[in-house]
Amino acid sequence: MSAPLIETQNLVKTYGRGSSVIKALDEVSLTIDRGEFVAVIGASGSGKSTLMNMLGGLDKPDGGDIAIAGQSLARMSKRALAYFRNETIGFVFQQFQLLPKKSALTNVRLPMQYRRPRLDEENERARQSLERVGLGDRIHHKPTQLSGGQQQRVAIARALVGEPDLLLADEPTGALDSKTSTNVMELLVELNRQGITIVLITHDKEVADYANRVIKMRDGKIVEDVRQGVLA
Amino acid sequence: MRIPGLTTLTLASGSLLERPFRTLLTMLGIIIGVAAVFAMLSIGEGSRQKILENIDSVEARTISIFPNWNNGRASARRAWRPFTEQDVLDIQAIPGGEAATGELSQEYSIVSETSDWRANVIGADPQYLAANDLQMQRGRPITQTEIERRETVAVIGTSVVRSLFRGQDPMGERIKIQNIPFEIIGIVDETEGTNWRGQDQNNFVLVPRPTGRARLFGDDRLVRNQVRSIRIVGATHEDRARFEREVDFIMRRSRGLTADEAPDFRIFNFSANRQAVAETQRTLSLLLATMGAVSLIVGGVGVMNIMLVSVTERTREIGLRMAIGARGSDILSQFLTEALLLSIISGLLGLGLGYAVSQVSLGTDEIEMVFSPNIAILSFGSALLVGVVFGFLPAQRASQLNPIEALRHE
Ligand SMILES: Nc1ncnc2c1ncn2[C@@H]1O[C@H](COP(=O)(O)OP(=O)(O)O)[C@@H](O)[C@H]1O
Ligand SMILES: [Mg+2]
Repeated sequence: MSAPLIETQNLVKTYGRGSSVIKALDEVSLTIDRGEFVAVIGASGSGKSTLMNMLGGLDKPDGGDIAIAGQSLARMSKRALAYFRNETIGFVFQQFQLLPKKSALTNVRLPMQYRRPRLDEENERARQSLERVGLGDRIHHKPTQLSGGQQQRVAIARALVGEPDLLLADEPTGALDSKTSTNVMELLVELNRQGITIVLITHDKEVADYANRVIKMRDGKIVEDVRQGVLA
Repeated sequence: MRIPGLTTLTLASGSLLERPFRTLLTMLGIIIGVAAVFAMLSIGEGSRQKILENIDSVEARTISIFPNWNNGRASARRAWRPFTEQDVLDIQAIPGGEAATGELSQEYSIVSETSDWRANVIGADPQYLAANDLQMQRGRPITQTEIERRETVAVIGTSVVRSLFRGQDPMGERIKIQNIPFEIIGIVDETEGTNWRGQDQNNFVLVPRPTGRARLFGDDRLVRNQVRSIRIVGATHEDRARFEREVDFIMRRSRGLTADEAPDFRIFNFSANRQAVAETQRTLSLLLATMGAVSLIVGGVGVMNIMLVSVTERTREIGLRMAIGARGSDILSQFLTEALLLSIISGLLGLGLGYAVSQVSLGTDEIEMVFSPNIAILSFGSALLVGVVFGFLPAQRASQLNPIEALRHE
């Protein structure tokens, strides 16, 4: 058996101090294998985003350890973490986070700008990534010329362009209506079928149903971890 | 092929061009600052070179002597006393002197067959041309004989030729001054520029001084053998002090002044004149330096301000870039490049402005400007320095943002 893609041990993250201390993550231990599609659910403030920031190397834990693709993040330098994010993680955000004045292609190309060494055929890779999310005919459109669903697809294409090991999506459908949400979720399911590991954060039970494993959080703790059959 | 740093540069120029008007406003301070620094350095260099270049010129070897009221001391108040022809002769006798002349002149209307024109009529002697660094263009100068016989001959400057004769040959023609006909025997070569009063230096008619005194200047309060000022050429840089001592001695003797009495004449030399000009230029340079420094600082603060605004406006972009792998140093160099690009463009525009302004308004005789690559580099460099210094803080602030918070920024 190969090593799990994600392994956390007793992850702790606290905010504030004294009597008003908040444990955003409280001894979270978790293992996720390659190829899984995991949904993390829970009420607002339960620690989902904090967990995602840990997994994505955007934040460091106050205690415990975390290893992604064999790399231990807790003691990594800022510089090494930046490189780790670039190579290993693809982020998808609720607010898309596209550069509004740049074309879809330019937006998708962005992560490759920080790859060392630089990849060849950056434009071609960006174009293919856009094709992969079904926007091959929109590569020169600016975000303002695209619908919300299309914008989130551009963001997904951007997350994929560097061929990451892990796709992290924090409420990717939070800003979309239910029909476009379905489209985006179907795209993620398809990408997962193609072998991409996805960790998705949502407070929406329906969205979570697309995943084949659902982890429920409350007050910084995992309170439920259920594997479910892929929906037909 | 990938050129290192090209991405950063494209990135920076793109974000500046997104808001061209704001960008231009921001650059204004630096543009003016660089222009002022450029002008200042050019003027400084100009005056330095002019002094060097003229150190051996006739002008530099000239001493001028003017009568003066007796230093304004009430008790010793005397009438203004002109010099005499004898003084001119005594000054001409100073050892090492090349030429010395007296001056006596008056503006008159000069009448030819077809038109008339106002010009300065100067009573000259044979050394007049040499003492004023003038050459003949055509014909011949006034001779000693013509002076002694008080002949009515004239040597004219090129402005008189142009204004009175309009393409016709003036040689041998007659002109009338105060209704007295003079025969033109020569034309003096053109001198460039204007004199210190801004008058045309080529607008004159030379006549023998005794002729002028007898027939023209008679109604002037100057009597017979007097002159208004004396010029002597020959006082080299090393020899000037001795010349001035000799002049002082001669004039005191002639005017009956003891060595410790205040003189009622003034001695001017090139270096005093240059010092006055240099003083003007120093003042101007100081003004420009102050203006340049203030503008550059204002421009720098403008750059800092616009960069801080830019960082704030683009906080989410910065957060995103960090999330997808930008290191702090990547963000730092992105914003520093932007600030630098801003100052590079401003610097170039500033050089252009400085040059343009110098061509339009400062190209006078008083203010000599000399341009050199070093001056351009130095003033351009001041823009770069401002860009780096004032761009650093915003860029550093950007690079130290927390990506999670930055992404949440509204
Ligand atoms: N930067 C922060 N400063 C202080 N408290 C924070 C910060 N980020 C998160 N928290 C707190 O940590 C807890 C978990 O937050 P978060 O992970 O964002 O929850 P979720 O994403 O599930 O809504 C919440 O109580 C939140 O208020
Ligand atoms: Mg959240």
